[in-house]
Amino acid sequence: MRFCVCIKQVPDISTAVQTGRMVLNAYDASAVEEALVLKEAHGGTVDLLLVGPETARETIRKALAMGADSATHIVRPDVGDLDSSAVAEILAEHLADHSFDVIATGKQSQDTDSGLAGSMLAERLGLPYASNAVGLAVEGDALVVTRQGDSGQEILELQTPCMVTCSNDMNDPRIPSLKGIMAAKRKSVEQVEISTGTPQTRVEGLEPVPAREPGQLFEGEAGELAALVVDRLVNESGVEL
Amino acid sequence: MSRILVFVATDGGRIRRASLEVLSQAREQARDLGLAVDAVVLSDDPDSHVDAIAAYGPDRILTVQHGAFAQHRNQPVLAALAHVIKETGPRVVLMASTEAAKDVLGALAVRSGAAAIPDVASFEIKGDSVSALRPVMAAKQLARTTSDASTVLVSVRSGSYEAVPESGETSVEPIAFSYDDSDPAMVLREILTAGGDAVDLNEARVVVAAGRGVKDQEGKALVEELAGLFGGAIGASRAVVELGLFPATTQIGQTGKVVSPELYFAVGISGAIQHVAGMSNSRVIVAINKDADAPIFQYATYGLVGDLYKILPPLIAGLKAAKAG
Amino acid sequence: MEERFDCIIVGGGIAGLSAAMLLARAGKRFLLIERGEFCGSKNVSGGVLWGTDLERLVPGYWEMEGGFDRFVNHRRLSFMDPGSCFSVDFKSDHFDQPPYQGVTVLRARFDQWLAEQVEAVIEAGPMAEESFLATNVLVEELLQEDGRVVGIRAGEEEFYANTVILAEGVNNLLTRQIGLEAEYVPADHVAVGVKEVISFDRKVLEDRFQLRGRSGLTNEFVGACSEGVDGGGFLYTNESSVSIGLVLGMADLRDKGLAPYDVLNTFKAHPAVADMLQGGEVVEYSAHVVSTGDIRGMPSEIYADGVMVAGEAAHLLLNAGKAIQGMDFAMRSGMLAAETAIAANDAGDFSAARLKDYRTALDASYVMQDMRSFQDAVHLLHSPAMHEKVPNVICDFGRQFFTVRNEPTPKAAKMMRTAIKRHASYWELVKLGAKAARAL
Ligand SMILES: Cc1cc2nc3c(=O)[nH]c(=O)nc-3n(C[C@H](O)[C@H](O)[C@H](O)COP(=O)(O)OP(=O)(O)OC[C@H]3O[C@@H](n4cnc5c(N)ncnc54)[C@H](O)[C@@H]3O)c2cc1C
Ligand SMILES: Cc1cc2nc3c(=O)[nH]c(=O)nc-3n(C[C@H](O)[C@H](O)[C@H](O)COP(=O)(O)OP(=O)(O)OC[C@H]3O[C@@H](n4cnc5c(N)ncnc54)[C@H](O)[C@@H]3O)c2cc1C
Ligand SMILES: Nc1ncnc2c1ncn2[C@@H]1O[C@H](COP(=O)(O)O)[C@@H](O)[C@H]1O
Repeated sequence: MRFCVCIKQVPDISTAVQTGRMVLNAYDASAVEEALVLKEAHGGTVDLLLVGPETARETIRKALAMGADSATHIVRPDVGDLDSSAVAEILAEHLADHSFDVIATGKQSQDTDSGLAGSMLAERLGLPYASNAVGLAVEGDALVVTRQGDSGQEILELQTPCMVTCSNDMNDPRIPSLKGIMAAKRKSVEQVEISTGTPQTRVEGLEPVPAREPGQLFEGEAGELAALVVDRLVNESGVEL
Repeated sequence: MSRILVFVATDGGRIRRASLEVLSQAREQARDLGLAVDAVVLSDDPDSHVDAIAAYGPDRILTVQHGAFAQHRNQPVLAALAHVIKETGPRVVLMASTEAAKDVLGALAVRSGAAAIPDVASFEIKGDSVSALRPVMAAKQLARTTSDASTVLVSVRSGSYEAVPESGETSVEPIAFSYDDSDPAMVLREILTAGGDAVDLNEARVVVAAGRGVKDQEGKALVEELAGLFGGAIGASRAVVELGLFPATTQIGQTGKVVSPELYFAVGISGAIQHVAGMSNSRVIVAINKDADAPIFQYATYGLVGDLYKILPPLIAGLKAAKAG
Repeated sequence: MEERFDCIIVGGGIAGLSAAMLLARAGKRFLLIERGEFCGSKNVSGGVLWGTDLERLVPGYWEMEGGFDRFVNHRRLSFMDPGSCFSVDFKSDHFDQPPYQGVTVLRARFDQWLAEQVEAVIEAGPMAEESFLATNVLVEELLQEDGRVVGIRAGEEEFYANTVILAEGVNNLLTRQIGLEAEYVPADHVAVGVKEVISFDRKVLEDRFQLRGRSGLTNEFVGACSEGVDGGGFLYTNESSVSIGLVLGMADLRDKGLAPYDVLNTFKAHPAVADMLQGGEVVEYSAHVVSTGDIRGMPSEIYADGVMVAGEAAHLLLNAGKAIQGMDFAMRSGMLAAETAIAANDAGDFSAARLKDYRTALDASYVMQDMRSFQDAVHLLHSPAMHEKVPNVICDFGRQFFTVRNEPTPKAAKMMRTAIKRHASYWELVKLGAKAARAL
């Protein structure tokens, strides 16, 4: 099957000191991993598609190093001002005249947690889709998706071409090998210009999350600790037991 | 009159409380702005939900009846909601941020030519815009997000508002909806439910969440016993779900669910930001961890440094005694 | 598949990246391997890169985005007893011009930036698709043939090179693997560095420390900061945070049964320090082994057939009280190793005899000269007198000197005598003074 995985570069929030480092969205890494696994089992290709500034090339390389075949880079220095709907519009414009069996996105961006671009893209392309996938399988022409729903998992069969958004609970993305890293430098990255994409929402500012009241830390013997916290819960916390 | 449309999600024949929270808040803001509030329910048997919705005082309850709604699938839900939006022309469409809502929100926005603001912690309908605060960066920051689009879809995190019953004049209007459910492009094969009579995480007053520190059935039994004391729900970190000890539906955090109970026990959870993103709005947090430097203690109202296997038994006994006396 | 490189560098710290920059500039085909997720991710450092070598490595670096935090134009050395702090303070506009004499850096940011500079040079050169900075890969073993180092193994993958530069830092397992250093390093040849990054609103930081533009302050501490453990403290200003920490002798720490983190908390609670840190938020804590700078801790040799050892992997570091010099030593040694690798490549000779040029160049450079000439200072700094008696005497004197009472005031000389009598003996101090004069 021919897979196209949409990948996004996001700020790294895992380090305490903000280094400004940019990384591959974790959910997209899982989408890449799953596409690679399916390609390895059933044959096909895995192409990447990213909207972002020139510097996002590094993230494309990371995903190529995992084993994807090629990549398209829609160069947009202003990606920070684009919301999911604008991104979906751009992705759709590019994909309208490219043919794939499965288009995969992450279920959400790690930085904004929007979770919109995938289904927006599917709707624009008129494709059946499943979101929040935690498992994928290929059966003939169909993609079988296990998705995490509100109270259980749903198993859906989608005829290709189709779209799927992936959860990071699906797999552990591989760490590129040295050979993968080397090969990635020689893989083709096509640069494309697309100037459309109208945001429908805007971020007017960021505010810190209000801090929690400082709590109390207890150390000691287990029985004492239990007694202490029972006392606090009963007499201080205001929680109705 | 301009209208607000609230999508009331049902699940297994029940209305989700989060939908009623949103409905209450919609009514609140509608009153100040002089807007009317419609609640829409999609169901194979919508009439069974009408009374429960009416108790929260929308002006109208719009019912859409179809067999396709017996189980969640995005295409029929999408078709129905787009149809209702087209028919009633609301300014704002509100829904609780359930998995089902997340499944359709983006596509619905495109189909209805609307803007979408997902997963907000609060929102405000203004003269000609909608403004919301949404947690970003794994809930480290709040982004004030605004849209001036003529129709704006907003999904709201559960627990953001109170569900307050209100009596009033409510009319019920069935909406005609035809849908060809024979599309072979997408077929629901099977639903694997987590099983058991688990308390809904989003609605539980008390959540007992287990992390990788809970290593075995014995630990799991302790967690279950503690939750049982309160009629509480069981939650889990990603790490312990991965180990297969708890079902994926219990996962709390950035990938999993967002909860904000009265009381949250974090048992053997380190407190990675992606986990904290899903529980930091809990009112009282009790953390049990043997590592005094575990980040979870930064959020804990009461932090207990020690072995959960040693602390939980006397804690359970103590709480039992406290409840009894 | 056999891939043969001109050079493989193990470690993407300062030594490794400095070597890489020269190899990239020379158009050599090389592979740098860093085990961290990105260059800098594993690196702990208090953070002043001293000297002007950075300008040689990245000309005009101060005009670029990213990289260093602040340049140093204000230095302070403080002696502490439990309640007081006596400082020697020096600020000069001499230091305000690039190339600066020292810049504060946060390694997670700086190393990454340096890696980007190297990447840019690779991209612009003839080996754009043939030279690599590979991260998230652990080199597990050096490959040897007939006693010569010929390559590396990472997991299942093996790669060959004409020379290997080991820039793996103080935890130099590969250097030990090939027998250049004994398997176990004695505890008194290493120290523990602990550090916190405390973040401030930028404006607050600049007002508090009188910083202008990108200028910065460094403050070293001796005395009560270390709870009697041999070692010292430091505080450096970054863009909108300070790095504060201690370097503590491993053996002494162990003997006194103290945990580095607790000592750091005591240091931070010292009134003079607490005042500086008020209102800041700890955003990072880290601990790392660091060489003491004792020359006896160096590997038996820093080159062999097909291999050279640079930076702290070779225990190149000087900590003689007024500054920790590990990063600049790493930079210079990395550069010298790369120059040797390049010359060896051009000559087609990778034998120990050829690679000895690296040792010769390093011996001739300020790195080995300073390490040799300041050994006495290193030992002096680690002597008990330096972290107890001396600071106590100085602070005692300070307390008398700066006290004004409405009573007859003794002369300073008398105060000094009183202070000395209270904490030490003349003889001891005279000996120490003479030692210090010789050592520094
Ligand atoms: C994009 C992304 C999304 C993610 N989403 C989520 C999410 O939704 N939910 C989530 O939870 N994680 C999520 N994670 C993973 C998250 O980063 C952590 O890996 C995870 O939360 C760790 O789970 P843990 O605390 O149970 O395990 P650990 O981090 O391994 O912590 C186990 C803790 O148990 C303590 N412990 C061990 N034994 C005992 C004992 N006997 N008594 C007491 N304490 C003990 C240990 O001291 C330790 O602190 C996500 C990660 C990413 C990158
Ligand atoms: C608390 C503290 C404060 C300090 N303050 C200062 C200061 O103010 N000024 C100063 O000049 N110096 C300071 N130093 C010392 C300085 O940090 C070191 O001397 C310097 O980092 C050495 O550089 P390096 O490149 O040799 O090694 P490192 O910076 O340690 O880099 C080695 C790299 O190799 C990688 N690596 C190791 N083994 C492998 C392997 N097998 N495979 C792949 N990669 C591997 C590591 O991940 C690491 O990134 C301080 C040190 C500490 C601990
Ligand atoms: N700039 C982008 N380039 C390519 N894909 C993107 C981009 N932004 C978002 N996506 C994809 O859309 C998914 C969901 O995005 P979001 O709606 O931002 O949460 C991501 O996981 C990506 O797969």
